[in-house]
Amino acid sequence: MPQHIKRLIGVFAIFIVLFLVMRQVLKPSSFGELGHFRAKAIYENTLRPMHYTIADSCTKCHKSIRADKDQGFHKKLKCEVCHGPGLKHSLFANQFKGKELPDSLILYKPGERKDCAICHQINAARIKILFDTINNTMIKQIDVAEHNPPDLKANEPAKCIDCHNPHQP
Amino acid sequence: MKNEKNSLTRRDFFKAGTILASGVAIAGSAVIPYDGVLFAAEAPGAKGKWYGIGIDINKCIGCGRCANACKQENNVPKDPFYFRSWVEQYTIKNDGSVLVESPNGGIDGFKQSVPDKEIFKSFFVPKMCNHCAKSPCTQVCPVGATFETEEGIVLVDENYCIGCRYCVQACPYGCRYIHPDKGTVDKCTLCFHRLKKGYQPACFEICPTEARIFGDLNDPGSKLNYFLKNHTCMVVKPHLNTGSKLFYNAISPEVR
Repeated sequence: MPQHIKRLIGVFAIFIVLFLVMRQVLKPSSFGELGHFRAKAIYENTLRPMHYTIADSCTKCHKSIRADKDQGFHKKLKCEVCHGPGLKHSLFANQFKGKELPDSLILYKPGERKDCAICHQINAARIKILFDTINNTMIKQIDVAEHNPPDLKANEPAKCIDCHNPHQP
Repeated sequence: MKNEKNSLTRRDFFKAGTILASGVAIAGSAVIPYDGVLFAAEAPGAKGKWYGIGIDINKCIGCGRCANACKQENNVPKDPFYFRSWVEQYTIKNDGSVLVESPNGGIDGFKQSVPDKEIFKSFFVPKMCNHCAKSPCTQVCPVGATFETEEGIVLVDENYCIGCRYCVQACPYGCRYIHPDKGTVDKCTLCFHRLKKGYQPACFEICPTEARIFGDLNDPGSKLNYFLKNHTCMVVKPHLNTGSKLFYNAISPEVR
């Protein structure tokens, strides 16, 4: 074998060994176990904290509201649809019985016109649901600005919840 | 002249012919046949879970609670341009033009901007990651920081992402964004942290009209399979062959 080929083989061997060593050092531990990614990342993705609770955890304590809600049109709605994420509240609010809740555990209490308008503001795309008798759903559509317009002379404009009980509308 | 014409003997002809034929056969075996999955409702292997999503446009009232729940559950930045899940209102006017609106992703509700007289039809389309079976976004990642799990969920490895934005460009549904604080890409994980604890993703849990259906495509008795069998469902951009697993009922061809 010519001398220069031998040298070239030597150089190549050094590079290949160097590459293998570098790869071993730089490659994350679980890379390639399940594919071209770190298998550990699947586990890391499960570590995020939850915020929304599951359906029944609210009504364990708030029994009267459940009784109210079961008779009204909002019976299928989950509490968190209006009140926001409540996992923390459902876990820790029990410890503050009789005392005042800390701010972090107080859930949102919707009552403004804009809160109800999220579902009930009249809109051309919502009309179809109003007349949907097949699924037996009916979502009342009103023009929030025109429906019982707020009295400008009074200091506080009328809220929806002044007339309608949101748990039993 | 005569000699030159007959220089190819029978033996030579068969020799060359055999070599050519075997060459073509070997090269042909390396060609991967077309394996399009326009409708990924059938799982590749019949083992384990294979999650899919169904959305009934007829039932969506555009309350945007799904978009809101997603932001709260996953700590998505509150600015109106970072969304993992959002709602669009499509308005098709009488003159045929299409108007697409999504004020703050639908979280604050929708206001009808076109008078009733001009509207031919209008509907809400909730959008989110399609969790494609052949996702373009995972194919382009140069470092292997985004991948599909065995359950068919497309996830991001935050600790490994270099923030090159290549996948943001690749996603035909616009479902990825760069997290402003972390500098890495962020997207819908189908609430993987909830799934693993046995709960539904937040947006499915919260939908007041049950317009969103979540289920296992491998389970013939799942809610999602029932939904797919009983409705005429389609995916968005089927021509891109992404193997999307987000099936819409009653979707219009205008939806992009």
